Amino acid sequence: MKAAAFRYHRATSLDDALAVMADDDEEVRALAGGQSLVPLMAMRLSRPEVLVDLNGVDALAGVALDGGHLRIGAMTRQRDVERSPLVAEHLPLLRTAIGHIGHVTIRHRGTIGGSVAHADPAAELPAAVVALGAEMVLASTGGTRVVPAEEFFDSYLVTAVEPGELLVEVRFPLGAVPARHGMAEFTRRAGDFAVAGAIVLADVAADLTVRRARVVPMAVDPAPRRSARAEELLVGRALDDGVIREVAAAVAAGCGPVDDIHGSAAYRRDLVAEMTRRALARLRQGAGE
Amino acid sequence: MTGTRHGHEPGVGGVGAVVRRHSDPALVTGHATFIDDIESGGTLHLAMVRSPFAHAEIKGVDASAALDLPGVHAVLTGAELVRHAKVQPVGWEHIDNQRAAPTYAMAVGKVRYCGQIVAAVAAESRALAEDAAELVEVDYEPLPVVHSIEDALAPDAPRLVPEWPDNVFGSQTYGNGDADAAFADAEVTVSERLTFGRQFGCPLEPRGAVATWERYTNRIELWINSQSPNRVREVVAEVLGVPVSGVRVRVPGIGGGFGSKANYYGEEILCCLLSRLTGRPVKYIEDRQESFVATSHAREQRIDVAVAATRDGVITALRGHIVGVLGGEISSVGMGPVWLSAVSIPGPYRIPNLELSVTGVLTNRTPYGSYRGWGAPKATFAMERIIERLARELGVDSNEIRRRNFVRPEEMPYSNGVFATLDSGRYEHCLDLCVERLRRDGWYRFREEARAAGRKVGIGVAAFVESTGIGPSRVMARLGIAQGGYDEAVVRMDSTGRVTVFTGQTEMGQGMSTTLAQLCADELNIPVDQITVVMGDTDACPYTGYGTGGSRAAAVGGVAVRQATGELKRQILRVASHQLEVDVADLEIADGLVQVRGLPGYGRTLADVAYAAYRRLTDVGEGTTPTLQGRAVFDPVALTYANGCAGVVVEVDPATGGVTVLGYVMVDDCGTMINPQIVDGQLHGGCAQAIGGALLEDLVYDRNGQLLTTTFMDYLLPTAMEVPPFSTVHVETPAPNTPGGMKGVGEAGTVPGPAAIAAAIDDAVDDPAVFVRHLPVSPEQVYRFCNAAG
Ligand SMILES: Cc1cc2nc3c(=O)[nH]c(=O)nc-3n(C[C@H](O)[C@H](O)[C@H](O)COP(=O)(O)OP(=O)(O)OC[C@H]3O[C@@H](n4cnc5c(N)ncnc54)[C@H](O)[C@@H]3O)c2cc1C
Repeated sequence: MKAAAFRYHRATSLDDALAVMADDDEEVRALAGGQSLVPLMAMRLSRPEVLVDLNGVDALAGVALDGGHLRIGAMTRQRDVERSPLVAEHLPLLRTAIGHIGHVTIRHRGTIGGSVAHADPAAELPAAVVALGAEMVLASTGGTRVVPAEEFFDSYLVTAVEPGELLVEVRFPLGAVPARHGMAEFTRRAGDFAVAGAIVLADVAADLTVRRARVVPMAVDPAPRRSARAEELLVGRALDDGVIREVAAAVAAGCGPVDDIHGSAAYRRDLVAEMTRRALARLRQGAGE
Repeated sequence: MTGTRHGHEPGVGGVGAVVRRHSDPALVTGHATFIDDIESGGTLHLAMVRSPFAHAEIKGVDASAALDLPGVHAVLTGAELVRHAKVQPVGWEHIDNQRAAPTYAMAVGKVRYCGQIVAAVAAESRALAEDAAELVEVDYEPLPVVHSIEDALAPDAPRLVPEWPDNVFGSQTYGNGDADAAFADAEVTVSERLTFGRQFGCPLEPRGAVATWERYTNRIELWINSQSPNRVREVVAEVLGVPVSGVRVRVPGIGGGFGSKANYYGEEILCCLLSRLTGRPVKYIEDRQESFVATSHAREQRIDVAVAATRDGVITALRGHIVGVLGGEISSVGMGPVWLSAVSIPGPYRIPNLELSVTGVLTNRTPYGSYRGWGAPKATFAMERIIERLARELGVDSNEIRRRNFVRPEEMPYSNGVFATLDSGRYEHCLDLCVERLRRDGWYRFREEARAAGRKVGIGVAAFVESTGIGPSRVMARLGIAQGGYDEAVVRMDSTGRVTVFTGQTEMGQGMSTTLAQLCADELNIPVDQITVVMGDTDACPYTGYGTGGSRAAAVGGVAVRQATGELKRQILRVASHQLEVDVADLEIADGLVQVRGLPGYGRTLADVAYAAYRRLTDVGEGTTPTLQGRAVFDPVALTYANGCAGVVVEVDPATGGVTVLGYVMVDDCGTMINPQIVDGQLHGGCAQAIGGALLEDLVYDRNGQLLTTTFMDYLLPTAMEVPPFSTVHVETPAPNTPGGMKGVGEAGTVPGPAAIAAAIDDAVDDPAVFVRHLPVSPEQVYRFCNAAG
């Protein structure tokens, strides 16, 4: 488990990093917290020829409120996002979601950008950024572009990031998505990746009528996706047990889980229904008061 | 706790005292030395080319590209190996019709499991060696794969060893009384087919070795993190055709062994050989991914078990048929662990009629070897499950069945006519203590309240015995085990009065150096911190017939240390007797003095006696030999039986199948406790592994013989979050055949837990249709239990 040989470049600025990323002749990879990339390299499943270490690029880290957005730099440690007062105030879901990632030590090193760019369908942050309608800011020597989270994740470990590009920031529009959240996931052990999970956001009136809703199941599709059918079933209806059951069933029916050693597709389907039910029940707690 | 009840003074830290482990300061500050820390100048590093196929003919190996890489020194293949090495010996040849399947240190001509070594590459660095390993081209011709017991036993099954008529390595039946008649006449019979999954010791530090074949002396110095340095020494000598005295095995700190490092392997042979071929020290460190395919697997068995009983729940007969899923090659313990499971099924129970059989089949999987608990966890799983089944059949509490069938203390020694002679123990008392502790910890009340609130909480209990203190050398020889079961120890006092214990046992985190020092302190009545324990060097330390395993370090090695210390003490007293002109019988060691009994303070300091024995011989009697040293060899006359009972509380989440272990009581009788804190630690670790074995750890193969679980994301070890606080309860029934009364505690924790967890899940689900038949039980399986068709 020793990585194949690679060249190492410790970037001193974003421009410096992008200049190295722009090399088309060689496979270049960014190194963020290394919590996913380093094991993959050790197993030689990932074999970059050049590694651009972003850990010295301070400008890529930080949480800032900017007009209608909360902007989180790609290199912000998951633990710093989890403990940020701005995140607590504006994006409580993000805090809940990160609380499920591994263990504190891993979150101290792992970054928001690394998790999102890695795009594991069982990971919390990809599902959360889809639920929150975030925008991914990508940069290259050719300029900057913004990709909505819903268009960012293609399939298992595949995203819209093109060769030469870096994810520099995740930008969350405030007020654009419902405020209340609920999340549930089932793991084999504390801190493991989810076997199945669900994130829900909703605005709920005093009589429990749902005005807006976003539902994102986890670990049951090649990439995180909103469940349009589930959202339709919610909007305009009171969040009672019957509706919750219907929504949970719709999520299960609409997803495409696969078998693996931690559970069959059929079991995962049942689990995601249960997780959706729990997420909605959590969301309902205290609603309508 | 002080040890005064054992005669030594408070503060000595003798038997019964809680003494902090000597090994811990270095471990907790990160200063311990492990195998990967051993590296002298010029060391080459090995990387293995491992087979991607489970079963294939090796048509050819082309290493030229690898050898062309600058910094690569040698590539060894099976074809070359056989010119320098003999087959790996199998230590256990105890099954009457056991076949031979010559296994070499690496694949020769054919691979029989994924991960088997096909070539070994020695290079200037491990990374470079791995680069070169990728360049070795192997031409494989895949063969059909034998995946399972059913595959292996099918009439037209592909054969792993073409010279054999089938894939059966060995098979034997053991009996007592007349099981057929007892079953025919029985008022009640119940039977079950159970299966136990594939698991392994999985120490946090994988295996490793560093070998130097000295060019001019022709001696091999082999550093290895083995539990059995003396066995490794003999095996290396045998395989490489050098005298045993030509091999020095040294053991640094071991980062956990759990039996997997008691087996011997091919990698150490390859290190030695490549050192000879390259003239350099050669180091191999198994990496995490390799460890899953290269370190012995264990546990996997299919168990058919049945009992005949009266309507009162008295068991009259037991049948147990076990098939062990061996791997593609035979490990150093043959099918020993599978055999022990079969003959151990009767456990603590008095069952007059027995029919037990064992069969080992080859499959295209990693070889099957030792893992903490050996045969006992599966034997206990089988017996305790069938007791639960009988209890349901009769509508009686399973603990009541246990009570009716336990061998009673007054019946001991009790031979079950097959293998075990239960020497001592109070089995019913242990069960009572377990139930009592569960009650006192509030678990029965908790279960009732939780159930009333609609939650699924269950309690399961399992009783066990476990053969420990292996083992009487003559019994082992009769069984066909090519090792003795005795231990030698040397204890020396230096010229300043400090004591050094030399032992063949090894320290691997279990605190052995501390407990051995305590035994020595107890015998000499001197403070334990004046004693140093030296281990892990076959040139300097005494011989042990078996090594550290089989819960024998204290019960056999400890006795040897105690007896050697006794001999040393006699010598000390003899010198002092001459100095003081007092009869030896009137002298004692106390307060750092050799003093006259009844005249405290009248005597010589130990330092002075020691000085005289080495450096002022005028003080010593004419006929007395200089120096102070005792040596002893202890060979137990019989196995002893640690025993006890586990009680586990679980909660099942019916909507997910998730199982949470809430409470865990472990009652254990390991005979005399040398250090109660170390005993607790051993039980805690073992119970954690029981939880892993029952709920999490599973080596899963696909139909092509590919292991799907080769990272810690897939092979799930219990972490601190999955392990509840343990309640340990101690019973000390001294082992009658062990001087000092120790039985051994290294493995006990792993033994009853799986059976107890299975029973707890049944109890939690509380559905007559549900019965846990397979471990580890996955959340998906538990989910199906809770949501059966409908
Ligand atoms: C024991 C353990 C448990 C874990 N448990 C969980 C869990 O429960 N849930 C979970 O979601 N995750 C879990 N993780 C993964 C963890 O969250 C990682 O931190 C995360 O997946 C990757 O983030 P990183 O900063 O470490 O990125 P890295 O590992 O450095 O990079 C990951 C990938 O993203 C690319 N990349 C990184 N940054 C950028 C960028 N700015 N632009 C473009 N590409 C980039 C890299 O090139 C690489 O391909 C666990 C990890 C460990 C070791």
